[in-house]
Amino acid sequence: MNWPDLSMGGYGFYVWGSYIFSLIAIVWEVVSLRSRKKALTQQQSSNTVPASVLRERTHETTS
Amino acid sequence: MNIYKYASPAMFYPLAGKMIPWFAIPAALLFAAGLYVGFFVAPTDFQQGDAYRIMFIHVPAAWMGMFLYVLMAIYAGIGWAFNARLSSMMASSIAITGASFTLISLVTGAFWGKPTWGTWWVWDARMTSTLILLFLYIGFISLQAAIDDPRRADRAGAVLALVGVINVPIIYFSVQWWNTLHQGATIRILGKPTIAGSMVAAMLIMLAACWLYSVAVVLIRLRCIILEREQNASRFAEVGA
Repeated sequence: MNWPDLSMGGYGFYVWGSYIFSLIAIVWEVVSLRSRKKALTQQQSSNTVPASVLRERTHETTS
Repeated sequence: MNIYKYASPAMFYPLAGKMIPWFAIPAALLFAAGLYVGFFVAPTDFQQGDAYRIMFIHVPAAWMGMFLYVLMAIYAGIGWAFNARLSSMMASSIAITGASFTLISLVTGAFWGKPTWGTWWVWDARMTSTLILLFLYIGFISLQAAIDDPRRADRAGAVLALVGVINVPIIYFSVQWWNTLHQGATIRILGKPTIAGSMVAAMLIMLAACWLYSVAVVLIRLRCIILEREQNASRFAEVGA
């Protein structure tokens, strides 16, 4: 096992900068999707949602 | 079992919900495994030192940016040609994830370029064509957002997506067609890779993780799009009833 030191041989800023940016992009995508889903769930009125969706949602909230 | 019934957004919605964990959980595990191999197993490069470790996110992100664009164009094209709503929704769902990966590849490329080439950015063939790819994604997303009628938005988006596909082979072959700062392909479909086995392994594990992650987030977004578009359609309620 090779454990490179955290300074990455002097390239730490570039290596960690890359991974931190990528992590931010991924977390941003997941968080924005969660809030989009949450807003939709709150908006939905039950009579416009298909039964298959409703069944699943009921299952999600009860389990 | 009639699989064609899943072409209906209402029928696909619950199926997509069941599929998401099967992609999201392996994606998280593979990201962890890929980073482990990339940072703990792969040796330090004799030329670039540890700076080359940016490759484990940069290369999969760049590949995903291109693959997802082609996939988006195919779905958009099918949606346009056959009036398949689910296919068009899939294209809309893919666009944001594709744009995100393209942005990651450009930013990580800049982080890699500074220590190895001495510059964050040059107007080089591969980088410029990748930037154009990002603009195509942004154009597709903006165009769809600007048109109120979703079916018209799908058609307009499909034209843009299909025309833009020409950019993907330009990106891929740019390192061969033009003199460029960017290095050539390290992994070839035919022939041996030019880097150590553990480096290839880390990159391929990260690529698999990126694929699984993409499928998971695209399906989550697709479910949101289905709800957004269909919430007021009475036909949708009847199909599910």
